[in-house]
Amino acid sequence: MHIVVLAKVVPDYEVPAGDFELTNSRAHARYKRMMGLYDENAIESGVQLKEKYSSSLTIVSYGIKGDIQILRKAVAMGGEKLSLVVGNSDDPHIIAANLKMAIDKLEDVDLVLAGQQSADMDRGIVHGMLAEMLGFTFIPQVAKIEQDGDQWKVIQNTESGSSELKCGGKAVLSITSVPENVPRIPVVRSIFAAKKKPVDTLSEIEGDAMLIDEVLVNIPKMESVCEFLPAEDDMAETAKILLSKLREERLI
Amino acid sequence: MRTLIVEMIEPKRLGELVTVSREFCEQPDIVAVGTGQIPGSFAKAYQVEDTVAANLVSDLASLIVNEGYEVILLTASTLGSGIAAPLSVKLSAPVVSEVIRIQPDLVVERPLYGGKAVASYKLNKMPAILTIRRKYFEAADLQGFTDSSLLSITEKKVELIAEKEEKTEGIPLEDAEVIVSGGRGIGTAENFSILQDLADLLNGAVGASRGAVDEGWAQPTQQVGQTGKIVAPSVYFALGISGASQHLAGIANAKCVVAINKDEEANIFKRARFGIVSDYKKIVPVLIETLKEEA
Repeated sequence: MHIVVLAKVVPDYEVPAGDFELTNSRAHARYKRMMGLYDENAIESGVQLKEKYSSSLTIVSYGIKGDIQILRKAVAMGGEKLSLVVGNSDDPHIIAANLKMAIDKLEDVDLVLAGQQSADMDRGIVHGMLAEMLGFTFIPQVAKIEQDGDQWKVIQNTESGSSELKCGGKAVLSITSVPENVPRIPVVRSIFAAKKKPVDTLSEIEGDAMLIDEVLVNIPKMESVCEFLPAEDDMAETAKILLSKLREERLI
Repeated sequence: MRTLIVEMIEPKRLGELVTVSREFCEQPDIVAVGTGQIPGSFAKAYQVEDTVAANLVSDLASLIVNEGYEVILLTASTLGSGIAAPLSVKLSAPVVSEVIRIQPDLVVERPLYGGKAVASYKLNKMPAILTIRRKYFEAADLQGFTDSSLLSITEKKVELIAEKEEKTEGIPLEDAEVIVSGGRGIGTAENFSILQDLADLLNGAVGASRGAVDEGWAQPTQQVGQTGKIVAPSVYFALGISGASQHLAGIANAKCVVAINKDEEANIFKRARFGIVSDYKKIVPVLIETLKEEA
């Protein structure tokens, strides 16, 4: 079995809102780049499947060449090789078409895992587009995966709980974070070994862009001014003040 | 513009989409997913019992082409995210997810970078697919019911084996006027019981940050944030929550945030109306005691 995990390198998503700046409608270039928030959950899920079913695991990404050193962390977590399509489009359709091209080149892929959404554009649509382009079944918000004969048995998180689903054939699954797929920190030996693992860089293909115009990107103002209540001496008094203020404004 | 809503039969979710549909048409059509009567008045209604997104995409695409729908509306949900992107490829249609505002002239807004920025997009081609973030549009009051015809499923790709509903006692998180939420600063799963005590006294619900859910201290259905529940309570108590932008994106419409955190530099204080720099274990029991005395 050959598993592909999609990983995207994004600008630091932990930058607080108050310090966030844009240049050319995108996050300022000074922010350090890091692996996407949910991508690490997807990689951990892929590594667990690899360990359980003796599968092979390839990391596939679309991004700039400078991302390779960050993507090596994904390889260190348990990937065997990295395939990077070099490109800088933000269009989901173009990104999906390029990921398809990279997966087609691998030829024998059975399962594609992806974080439920990237930590920059936050769209959560590239993996679903990719599935349709590949002709694979797409299931979002997956928390657990098991192989059951020639089928996949998955637990999908929903707004009200979860669903147990079963599908045959090839699939793209978007992975949500659960305690079971919190990423393990790679050991030092794996980090060094990752530096020697193969990296395929592929030139991007021209895809059809989605017919939509980005008109404007701006940073919304946060207008809340925090009133700090005393917290050193008399907590009973602080509690009374807080409840009284909330009642004054008919909030409780 | 011919508008089609595709949504589970759930009055609040449907009501929000009906409100959005009024930006595009007088009365939308609907594909209602699930069983039961379809609340509200729709020009034409179809119903499909299969609730698995992957099974619906092909037949929805055919319906949209045959009927000439121009705008497709779904909630940003597990169902919506399972349908929207594959459908966009099938129809060569643009898709905008997590829409939070509709402007005139087919311009829609959505957040990016964990809610730290907002982008506006002009839709240039129809049909266009929009998934709507919950709690940003007032739910329309749905009167009466609409009769439907069956939408048959021709391609069953995925089998639903079982559904498990996480039962929460009291008010659902999405509807609560008061939410008491805990983050990694709560320390253990057991400590969440004190949050429940406070929530019970305020007739509220208990939420959690992604960190607390990842630790296994709270259920995924309790997660508040960009990738959890979007909530709009009158008061949101954030206890031991640092205030990552992804969490703040889920409480953007809270009227008042009360932050209690030991770290005075915590980002949550920048969103809070009232702040208490303290260990929650010192203030919450006193709040509970005060509320009990006042009862």
